[in-house]
Parts: sequence; structure tokens; C-alpha cells
Amino acid sequence: MLNDVTFGQYYPVKSFVHRLDPRFKILALIAYIVMLFVADNFYALGACALVLTAAIIASRVPIGSVLRSVKGIIFILIFTSFLNIFFHKGETVYWQWGIMTVTLEGIIFSGFLILRLFFLVMASSVLTLTTTPVSLTDGIESLLKPLKYIRFPVHELALIMSIALRFIPTLIDETNRIISAQKARGADFESGNIFKRVKAMIPVLIPLLISAFRRAEELGDAMDARCYSGSKNRTKYKKLKFGWRDAFALFFFCALIAGVVLFNIYCYDIFPEIYAYIRIS
Amino acid sequence: MEEPVIVCENLKYSYSGQDGYAVNGVDFTVAKGEFVSVIGHNGSGKSTLARLINGLLEADEGKVTVFGMDVNEGSNAVEVRKRVGIVFQNPDNQMVASIVEDDIAFGPENIGIDREEIGRRIDWALSAVGMEKYRHSTPAKLSGGQKQRIAVAGVLAIKPEVLILDESTAMLDPRGRREVIDVVRRLNKEEGMTIILITHFMEEALLADRTIVMNRGEIVLSGTPEQIFESGEALETYNLSLPRISVIAENLRSAGMNIGNVLKPEALADEILENLNSRGIYTGESSADCIPESDIKGEWDIDIKNLAYTYSRKSPFAAKALNGINLHIRDGEFFGIIGHTGSGKSTLVQHLNALIKLPQAEKHYRKPKVKKGEPLPALPSVTVGNFDLADKKTDFKSLRANVGMVFQYPEYQLFAETVFADVAFGLKNFNKKLSAEEVEAAVKSSIEIVGLNYDEVKDKSPFDLSGGQKRRAAIAGVIVTKPHILILDEPAAGLDPKGKKEIMELLHKLHREWCKTVIIVSHDMDEVAENCTRAAVISEGEVFACERPSELFSRPEELKRLGLDVPLTAKISTRLGQNGIIVHSDCTVKDFSEKVIEIYSGGGNA
Repeated sequence: MLNDVTFGQYYPVKSFVHRLDPRFKILALIAYIVMLFVADNFYALGACALVLTAAIIASRVPIGSVLRSVKGIIFILIFTSFLNIFFHKGETVYWQWGIMTVTLEGIIFSGFLILRLFFLVMASSVLTLTTTPVSLTDGIESLLKPLKYIRFPVHELALIMSIALRFIPTLIDETNRIISAQKARGADFESGNIFKRVKAMIPVLIPLLISAFRRAEELGDAMDARCYSGSKNRTKYKKLKFGWRDAFALFFFCALIAGVVLFNIYCYDIFPEIYAYIRIS
Repeated sequence: MEEPVIVCENLKYSYSGQDGYAVNGVDFTVAKGEFVSVIGHNGSGKSTLARLINGLLEADEGKVTVFGMDVNEGSNAVEVRKRVGIVFQNPDNQMVASIVEDDIAFGPENIGIDREEIGRRIDWALSAVGMEKYRHSTPAKLSGGQKQRIAVAGVLAIKPEVLILDESTAMLDPRGRREVIDVVRRLNKEEGMTIILITHFMEEALLADRTIVMNRGEIVLSGTPEQIFESGEALETYNLSLPRISVIAENLRSAGMNIGNVLKPEALADEILENLNSRGIYTGESSADCIPESDIKGEWDIDIKNLAYTYSRKSPFAAKALNGINLHIRDGEFFGIIGHTGSGKSTLVQHLNALIKLPQAEKHYRKPKVKKGEPLPALPSVTVGNFDLADKKTDFKSLRANVGMVFQYPEYQLFAETVFADVAFGLKNFNKKLSAEEVEAAVKSSIEIVGLNYDEVKDKSPFDLSGGQKRRAAIAGVIVTKPHILILDEPAAGLDPKGKKEIMELLHKLHREWCKTVIIVSHDMDEVAENCTRAAVISEGEVFACERPSELFSRPEELKRLGLDVPLTAKISTRLGQNGIIVHSDCTVKDFSEKVIEIYSGGGNA
């Protein structure tokens, strides 16, 4: 049951992308998403596809695992492309019924949008597949550090995230154990309507909650005993390093940004005769 | 005596909302470099004392001085905790980070150590606990003993001078316990660290220079382990049990043998040898007396064939748990399943009541495709009585009503508002047509057989019961359907010696009167030797052996290779056997003592 929820998506291999600084990866993902939305023609989108392909190859994660992440948004993709194909206004009309029209522009626009969302989800999953939740947290903490000066509790937030990550596998194990134990006492979690099922979860949730509080109390004691007294005078052991790999990857991203911007500006001049099919309106 | 590092004077503490003092007038001094063990039943105030010493609790009366500092003075808090580290019981609840080195860094970071020095301390702490290889591992993937060693390393990295272990071995299997205890002894011997070891295991308490016995918040006995374990009666009155070795020694002494107060199995064996040699007794070699095994089929036999199981198949995290198990458990047995953590024993028992279903019984099962000419792969099969677990149409609900399963720490599954409702939960799930009177009658008899007072507890919240009572109530909630087969995973884990004894007595009572077959999963070899008719050893997902305890434990080397221990009686027998004295006992303390006395007084068969 819950075993199937592999916590996080991390795919454990060693690769160029795995070794990048998590801060770089987070910022690169943000930049990539911005570029996807800045791009307004298929040339620029092609540049984005190229970078994504390079990243996937360099990550050594099987393409199947990356594509699996798209499964979750298939419904959204179908729904939006349906809206776009039938309701997008355009000049070359193929079919019309009431307010529903199918136009060339609509089809191009819908295809463009599908690719954009497709790349967005795949790029995000490259980040989560190649970065452990722990280094993601470290990355986020480091990126948020400047907020300390406006009294934002960065350290506390990071500690909360770290403890949450640490206890997720423990609590999943515990949930599985309690579910098994109540099943052994004849509890039925798989039949009945939604209300019955929610009610059936009570014998799982109460022991889980009680145990979580007990754990919290014990953890508090253990932290106290290990001299924890807030962020005051605290040092930090782990330091993230921006290395040659990151510099190398950064070069690629600069090229991507330049490419997208240039394609956007000179889109018309490359092949003027197909311009209408390349650019979305 | 060296300078004292910890001085407690007339210490008193009471928890709010509870009558009486949890610690009541304790005077107690620990010298530098000393190794002190503290024993006492549950609720005797041992843990409270530990928390008072490093200032996690503030004393109501009296004074604790640590390295000359008054612990109750608020400004000393961090300084005291730097000097006195404490490791708690549950390794899972002491770690803040998902990576070993980050977790160990937590303490030094808190006291503002600079980066390079933290790195050096992590190196040192990991090598002190022998876990250098696991620096970048995640705790979720470590065994209990390894996790607890990381917890010890996390405290060591602060460089304390005193290390308190508050029942830190209670939740570990024998291998994990040995790992942690070895680390602690080495720290004491080589680094000169002062150790306070709070424990329920008498065998661990023996290792200390000095043992303190607590009862109702007071220190009642104090002395060398030899002095403490000399008198069984005194310990008995404080709800503690003698270590098994002392029981054997006392049995032999009462039969007139001249046995000193020894605490090591080899030493006891040597003393027995001396006694026998002085009378010129040798038994020499003789064949073991074989009792033929019965082949009569019982109504509720369990038969397991070719059972294999892999967790998270088809993922990069796939883990093989069972690897072709063949096992037959007869109706009416008190069966033991032995193996250390991760051997697959829990996965095995979960198949017996179909918490894990065989692949053929799954809804979407498809027969594996086989190329022509190749033999069909052997399919796993499990039958329990008349239930065929490989059949989709089997009534699994009725199977579960007949095969009760008590998980480890069952008290953590209590949830209802009253004990009555909690015990009735299973009964109502299995049989919705029962009348209120029938339910009440069944719940009443179930609560009573586990040794609780029905009228007293039925309307109480299960969370208001004491630890041992909670476990009994949880067991009542499983046996309320009167299952034919009762499976218990580590039924005595985490209890104090008296609680352990009582739970095992309860299981024997259930075996006699209530459930025909009892199966316990255990890693306590003494427990298996004392209680089980037969036992199977599971290792790496396979059955290593399945025999009577007396036969099983006659091959200690093989068990040791699997990382398992042998019971005390087997250790002594081995030593005696090497010196020409063969003792045929069923490995229980009682029978072993009797057999030795028989040889001693009968002059042997030489």
C-alpha cells in the first residue's frame, strides 16, 4: 500500500547532474521555467528541448522515469488542449459549430502549450530525480539566507524541514505497521463508500498521532541534551560548493537564455515563409 | 577513589499530577572514569535520575553538582550538557538529520565549534563507534544497533566527559546490543570516559565496576556486581530477577556443590568441572537420546513451501526478504522463530494470516509465461489448517479471525476511548451479528485471561494504563476472537525482567487454555530455549535450521556465524563438553541444573 510511495523521487546513480550544486539546480530550474514562458516561437522552444535532452542524458536517469512524471498531468494536458483547439480564435477556420471553432492558430497554440507544460514537468522531475530531498533543503536554506536580515527565521525553517524529511520514512513505516496490525484485527480499509473508509482510518490515525507526539517529546529531550539552544552562536558544518561542473552547466544556461532571446527577436528573419506556423499569437 | 565528577545530595523530584516522588532522597556519587550500572524495575526512577543529572529536569529538593557546577543554576545548563552526554532509548527519536554526518554535526554546531574542528570530531566519533563507512548513509537504511551507535557518536562529538545511557539497548536485537555495549566498554577502558549505564539486562549490568539498584525512587543496594547478584531474595523484593547464571549457580549450590559467585558462563563451567573432577566424574562421549518426531497430521498444521518475497519489486530499491522458505509447524506447538533484524522473520509471519498475500491470491495475478520445454517455476504455497492461502477464493477474513497476530509493541495500536471498546474492536469486525451480551461475555473473558481486572479497566482509557497493562490489553484485543493460532512478534520487548517473565507466563497460560498453537518471533535465545517446543532459525530469508532447542543450540559455532547468540545453558554445556562432560538438557535453566546435579550426585555414567 504505502510502500509504493517511494519517498521523494530520487534516482540513486552517480552522474554529472547529480553532482551539481543544489542551489545551482534550483536556480537553473527557475531560469528554465522563465525561459519556457518567454519563448514565443518553436525555434526558442527547440533550444529549450535541446538543453532538457542534454540534461536528461547527462543525468543517467532512464527516460522512462522522467516520462513517468508527466503521467500525473496528462488530464490537465488533454483538458487545456481541448479548450485551446475548440475555443482559440484564429483566421484559418477549418470547422465551426456555435462558438466552437477549430483554427490553424488554435492547433499551433495548443501544440505549443502542450510542449511547454511537458518540458516544465520533465525539467522539474530532473531536479527531483537527481537531488536528494536533503540537499534540496540545504539548497533552499542557503538561497533563503539573505532573508535573515529581515528577521525571517531561516535557520528554524531549515531545521523544521530537515526534521520533517528525517521522520517521513519513520512515520511511513509506522503507518504501515499500524495498518497491518488493525487489519489483523479484522479492520477493512478497502471496501465501503468514502465515509466508511474515512471512518475506518480512525484506528490508524489515533495511534499514529499519539506516537508522533511521543516522538516529538523524545526528540525535544534529545535535542536539549545535545546542547540545542536556538540559532544563537551556532555554526554550520555543511558548506555547499560551487564547482567546475556548475560553471560548465552555467555556461549552457547562459547560452540557452541568449538563444531564446535571440530567437524571439529574429524569429521572422530565419524563414519568413513559415513564420506564421512558427510563432504563436 | 578519584575525584567525584557527579555528586547528588538528597535529590527529590516528583512529576506534576502524580503522587509521591519519582526520585526520593537519592545520595549518589560517581568518580572520574568509573563505570556504574543502574538497575531497577519500570518506574523505579532510573530515567528520572539521569535527567536530573544533566539538567533536563530540575530537582524539587536537593542538589546535583557536576564538575563543581550546580546543575539547577540556569546559566550552567549548556556547560553541564557539554560535559554530560545522554543517549536515550529509541534510536529513531534522537536524530535530527537524514544523513549520518549531518546528524553528528548537530551537537558541535550547537556549541559553536568551527567547521574544520567539526569535521575532525565527526571522524573521531565515527571511528569510536566503528561506523566510518556509514558517514554518508541515511539512518532509515541502518539497523537498530547501527542507528544507536550513530546516536552515541552524535553525543560523543560534543566531547562529553560523562556518558549516560538511558536504556539505550532496550529496543535492540542481541547483535545490536552487543555492538553498543562493546563501544561503551571501549570508551570506558581506552578513553577513560565515565559511564552510567541504565539497563534492564542483568547481563549488561554485570559489566560495570559498580551496580546500583533503585526501587521506588530510592537507591536500595549499591556495590560490585558480584555483591549485588549474590542474594536472589533481596533482588526479588525489588521486582528484579537474578541473572540466569546466578540462578543456575544457586541451584547447584543448594545441591551441595561448591560453586562460587561467578558471573561468566566459562567461569561457571570451570567451577562445575572442578566439582566433578574432585569426585573423579567423567561422562565421556555418548549418543544423544532421540525422541522420534510425530508425523500425525493435526487439524491446524501450517505448511509453507517455496515461499519467496521481494519488497518494492521492479524499483531500484528492490529488497529480497524471503528466499524459498519451507517450514512445517504442527498443531499445538509452542513454536519459536529466531533471526536477527532484517532476516525476514517478520515478513514470514505476515504471510500466515495473509497480511501479505501470495502472488496467486492477488486480484490481478497472471500465470508466468514459460517457454516450451522449460519446467514451471515452483510456486509458493502456504496452507494454514484448511485454508489455502494461494487461492483467491479463500475467506481471508475468517482466516484472520483464526490466526491472531500480535505485533511488536502492540500497545502502540490502542486507539479507542475505553479498554472495552478497544478489545471489542476486532470481535465486531469479524462478526457483526453478535449480540451485545455475547460481545460483553467474550470481551470479559478475554480481558480476564490476560490478567487484568475487568470491572476495574473496562471503562478506563487504554492510555491511562501502565506499560505492562497496556500490553496485556492489546493482547486481549487480538485473542478476543479465540484464534486457534496466535503469533506474537517480540512479545516481551522493552519490558523489565519481571514484566518479561509475566508475559511469558501469560503466553503459556494462553497456550494451555485458549490458543492451541503459539508462535513467537524472538531474538532472545534464552527466551526461546526456556519456552519453545521447537524453533526455526531464519537467516537471509532462508530456514537455516528447524529443531528442538536442545538440538539447535548444540551447534553454537554455526549460530554465531549467523550473528546469533546461544542461550547461557548452551554456552556452559559447550565448555563442559570440551572437557569430557556431556549434559543432555533441553536447554532450560531448570532442566540444565537438574541434569548437572544428577551427574554430580549419580557419579555419571563413566
